[in-house]
Amino acid sequence: MMEVLTSFTFIVVAAGTMILAFAGGMVGAISVMKGQSLIGDAVGHATFPGIVLAFMLIGVKETYTLALGAVLFGIIAFLTIQMITNHSKVTLDGALALVLSSFFGLGMALMSFVQGNPDFEGTQGLNDYIFGQAAYMLRSDVYLITAASVISLFILAAFYIQIRIYIFDPVFSRTAGINNTLMNFIILIITILLISVGLKAVGAILIVNLLIAPAVIGQLWSSRFSTVLLIAGSSGAFAAFTGTYISTAGENIATGPAIILTLSFLMALSLFCAPKGIIRRNIYKRRMGGVS
Amino acid sequence: MDGTIITIKDLNVAYQDKPALWHINLDIRKNSRTAIVGPNGAGKSTMIKTMMKLIRPVSGSIEIDGRTDKGVLKNIAYVPQKGEVNWDFPATVLDVVLMGRYVHKGWVKRTQKKDRDIALEALKTMKMEAFCDRQISELSGGQRQRAFLARAIAQDADIYVMDEPLQGIDITTENLIMDVIRKLQAEGKTFIVVHHQLNTVKEYFDHVVIMNKTIIADGPTDAVFTGDNIEKAYREKGVGV
Ligand SMILES: Nc1ncnc2c1ncn2[C@@H]1O[C@H](COP(=O)(O)OP(=O)(O)OP(=O)(O)O)[C@@H](O)[C@H]1O
Ligand SMILES: [Mg+2]
Repeated sequence: MMEVLTSFTFIVVAAGTMILAFAGGMVGAISVMKGQSLIGDAVGHATFPGIVLAFMLIGVKETYTLALGAVLFGIIAFLTIQMITNHSKVTLDGALALVLSSFFGLGMALMSFVQGNPDFEGTQGLNDYIFGQAAYMLRSDVYLITAASVISLFILAAFYIQIRIYIFDPVFSRTAGINNTLMNFIILIITILLISVGLKAVGAILIVNLLIAPAVIGQLWSSRFSTVLLIAGSSGAFAAFTGTYISTAGENIATGPAIILTLSFLMALSLFCAPKGIIRRNIYKRRMGGVS
Repeated sequence: MDGTIITIKDLNVAYQDKPALWHINLDIRKNSRTAIVGPNGAGKSTMIKTMMKLIRPVSGSIEIDGRTDKGVLKNIAYVPQKGEVNWDFPATVLDVVLMGRYVHKGWVKRTQKKDRDIALEALKTMKMEAFCDRQISELSGGQRQRAFLARAIAQDADIYVMDEPLQGIDITTENLIMDVIRKLQAEGKTFIVVHHQLNTVKEYFDHVVIMNKTIIADGPTDAVFTGDNIEKAYREKGVGV
């Protein structure tokens, strides 16, 4: 066990995923409270073709270019969702399902095209972006994750009070002189940014869980906005550490699933034990006279 | 002191192609308690939302305190008909009332002791101080309304725009709210209140706007709130349609 904990790869990878999950948990809590968690899911899946296309364009798996491709496709996916909901009778969940499956399908199609094609070399690592394989993370991946997370947290801190008012009461925030469009844009951009840099560690399919699960945990434990964010960030970071450890120590466990499983475990635990969880609620109800 | 604080000129508002307000011309007196009355669908909420720049009019202008820019909205505390807020949001009653102080902050937005004191005082005014640490999601409808009125008080605006603040509220709270309104009026504030109970208009408001898609009558309650005008507004589907 100590061998794993002190190995250089593990330290690099664990640091990267923990920073990512901390920022992801905080930003995700905001999306969830805004009722936008599924947009993260659609965007997460939709970044995958961006990765493959970026690879096809430059022919190597270069961290920054691939991330840029992911960001671009995240934005395109979001704009598509907006266009569909604004200009047709399709509802938001319909548009999300549509964009999620068609973008991800495009990514899969492009991937099988490249993999069977002798013009492209080094295609095997593309799979990592679907489920995540933190063990193959490069130092440049960790730098990118750190930079993106720090920037995201910084933006979050700068607009914290405005974002809080905007999420609670958009009508009031508008009349109070807060630029709602800007707030929405900020939340969206940092969400897409974190998703894009985290793909290699967690994968396109599961990355949304890094945004949603910590938020659920935070909301179960606290009813203060700031505390919910902190708990979300911390539980994300804890799960990232544990998941990365499991994945590095065990042979064939991808990092993404390992982190997500840890998060699910924490979530189940919270669901039962937290102040707003099932058990305490029932005790409270019984004390109040058994009326439910 | 008794000038005009809001001037609406030839305002037209439509939802998609359906007109909601027609040729509204209206002056609202500074320091008045003005009621806005009219049947359901008369466009009362629409008019207020347009004043708050939440709806863009087809044509016409609204001048508030001589200004038409967005910044003037900070001087207005708006209490919507049904608070369309995120009820699951983790915030206490005090948190919500403190949000009213936001408009008074400079670049550094931290809450100071002064803001806290003002917020607590506003809660006291609305007899909500006992609920100060309660989650906003755990309040009754009337308590929610009081919490939002407390936020409006904490905002310390010059103009208060309220969309049916007395709806679904018991008589004790109704009297409380009217007392607060009268007290703040004495401090120089202006009130524009959408009101549904015709029997209390004379008692509660010194000015009244009677409307149904267009203005039927407006002015001092004693002069304008006549059976004739009311009948005109409430008769069938509205005027000019
Ligand atoms: N978002 C909307 N989209 C389309 N039409 C709308 C919208 N909001 C209001 N309307 C229509 O505009 C008209 C005026 O509505 P408004 O809400 O301003 O009436 P009101 O006088 O406030 O009524 P109430 O007394 O029921 O609150 C109504 O016919 C209504 O159906
Ligand atoms: Mg209305």
